[in-house]
Amino acid sequence: MSDPRTAAPSRRDVLRAAAVLAVAAGLGGCGKSDPETTGGQVTVDLWHGQTDTAKKALDALIAEFNRTHPDIAVIGGGGGVTADSMLQKVTAGLAAGSYPDVAYIFGSDLASITRSPKVADLSGQLQLDAVWPAAKAAITVKDKVRAAPALLDSLCVVYNKKLFAAAGLPAPKAGWTWDDFVATAAKLTNPAKGVFGTGWPGVGDEDTVWRLWPMIWDLGGDVVSEDGKKVGFEQAGEQALATLDKLRTDKSLYVDPKPGGEQLYQVFLGGRMGMVATGPWQLPDILDRKLDYGVVPLPSYSGKAVTISGPDTWTVFDNGSARVKAATEFVRWMLDAQQDVRWDLQGGSLPLSTTTAALPQWKKHAAETSGLQVFVDALETARVRPTITAYPQISEHLGTAIVSVLLGKKSPADALKECVEQSNAVLAVPS
Amino acid sequence: MASVVGTFTVDPRARAAAAKRRTRGEGRTAWAFVSPSVLIILGLSVVPVLWSLLLSFQASDLVSPSRWVGLANYRTLAADPLFREAVGHTVVYTALYVPLSVAGGLAIALLLDRKIRLIGLYRTLVFVPFVVSAAAQGVLFSFVLDPEFGAANSLLHQFGLPAQGFFSDPSQALYLLVAISLWSGTGFCVIVYLAGLQSVEPEQVEAARIDGAGRTGVLRYVVLPSLTPVTIFLVLFQAINALQVFDLVFVTTKGGPLGSTTVIVYFIWEKAFKSFTAGYSAAAAYALAVALLVIGVLLQVYQRRVKR
Repeated sequence: MSDPRTAAPSRRDVLRAAAVLAVAAGLGGCGKSDPETTGGQVTVDLWHGQTDTAKKALDALIAEFNRTHPDIAVIGGGGGVTADSMLQKVTAGLAAGSYPDVAYIFGSDLASITRSPKVADLSGQLQLDAVWPAAKAAITVKDKVRAAPALLDSLCVVYNKKLFAAAGLPAPKAGWTWDDFVATAAKLTNPAKGVFGTGWPGVGDEDTVWRLWPMIWDLGGDVVSEDGKKVGFEQAGEQALATLDKLRTDKSLYVDPKPGGEQLYQVFLGGRMGMVATGPWQLPDILDRKLDYGVVPLPSYSGKAVTISGPDTWTVFDNGSARVKAATEFVRWMLDAQQDVRWDLQGGSLPLSTTTAALPQWKKHAAETSGLQVFVDALETARVRPTITAYPQISEHLGTAIVSVLLGKKSPADALKECVEQSNAVLAVPS
Repeated sequence: MASVVGTFTVDPRARAAAAKRRTRGEGRTAWAFVSPSVLIILGLSVVPVLWSLLLSFQASDLVSPSRWVGLANYRTLAADPLFREAVGHTVVYTALYVPLSVAGGLAIALLLDRKIRLIGLYRTLVFVPFVVSAAAQGVLFSFVLDPEFGAANSLLHQFGLPAQGFFSDPSQALYLLVAISLWSGTGFCVIVYLAGLQSVEPEQVEAARIDGAGRTGVLRYVVLPSLTPVTIFLVLFQAINALQVFDLVFVTTKGGPLGSTTVIVYFIWEKAFKSFTAGYSAAAAYALAVALLVIGVLLQVYQRRVKR
């Protein structure tokens, strides 16, 4: 519109102004990037990935921690993802150099994440004497404590009393065998009414795999052999898979095709599944539906009780010594029985330590919630998956083997043979 | 306004100099305006592309220091049976999805290119599935196609047909994904073709009619040739979409059952974030990028030749 010759300087002014603004913004950004100095308070960035009731319980605990520790400010953002995707989120964060101070990492992922030099070593920093052995094993990688326990569970069988009564079956009892389980599942199955004896997640992920380990341990197998060079389930695996195969040929098994395994529990909650192997986290939903249920320990082959626990962890990352110290302070405080019991009652974990389990609040809660004590007692015989970096790959191969059996595509022997060969190749790579 | 008036008053040489000065001045202003987007494109596209190229020559798990391995990732990739399977699945998916969605889109667009009552409503309805996000489609269809409790099997049962495994059946899952993508992706082709049909010259159609061409003749010799640029665009666009399919797989099958729906991008995701072999994953991503580039260039060359 105006003469370009007179307008030119004004453009230069605009550019200059823009440059000044950019520099100012840059300086402002620099000033903010060091949170350790804000008012003498250390900020701890927490990615917890919790939702619903667990998030509410955690938020309350964080608020109390911040009140009682004026020199530390814990910021409990979820990290923008649920716990299921936390590993991917944190890995991307580590690659980009922008990661939290504390993150909620699944026990089976801990070994992978500790390859990063940014994961703090918590050896000697936590009071672990009273912590259950399963939880202790899950946070120990190569003899060092690499995280604090965050949540503890154990796998037991929850059954629908109404369906048992309808089939004229007595309630299952501790000490039962897998043969009993298979026979019971077959009797519970009623295709006319769309009722299944039991179910299994069929995607081939960790949820498919972890349920098989107690069976393998019971048969004398293990994830890896003593020397760690080979898988330890070459013999035991076939028998465990054969049990699944029997459930499949009996048509008493519901195979959940959806990722996440939610559908499996929906079928159980809908009263169309007699028995399901699950953790204590499922109890609130079952109580909500007012389903008449009972809890028994997992069956076994040998008659000896054994189950699996899948503990989750609070992993601390190194963002400078002041922040590591503050973050460690926070996870230590969370592990303390007074806080642990609140987290267990509201967040759905089992007590992390025997001290917590002996508290009157917990005892009252366990007495009020039918079956909860069975999960706690199972912790005595619970084992955990080894904290080795090769585990996710072994799990992937075993997941494929289980799904091929569940879908009837391969015999247990063939499926296992392939899985053992692939897993041994993974273990042959030095780590 | 000044410049318009100037054309009548200033002599040509002065005008050229002013124009030169003006473009230089405007160039600077223009850079000031585009620099934020340039920075964003450089930061979010170009740098990551180069970074992942470097990554593809390294053994890296993203968290610990990486190590230079040269072409080893690419060599392993060439021999990896799982990658070959993933390529196979992607090729089958693309070979079915692209022609079916483009041909289906053309057919529906021809049907909808007429003046009837409620035509706007029909056009909208055809387009609606395209608006639904892939994640939502995945959730929706995994309910409909649930082998035990889904609506699809209950419908089959009503007709006395045997129940299907759908997503639990390795021989069906990939084709179901194609079907779901067609359900949503065809609507896009319809809209683009409808726009293309508006630009077919009515005079040409009329001339063909006068020359005695029937409906198929008009379609074959007038409508289709003038839609060629649109078709080439759609083939390229749909091919890129099909080769990059991920979200639908992630939500419905996670590559299963038994790896029967592991497509290339899912393979890349799995290698980077489940097995933590980011360098290997970057190599696979580059293989895909090269394939996309080749397809793009071939279609460009074809389009140029058609134009001539």
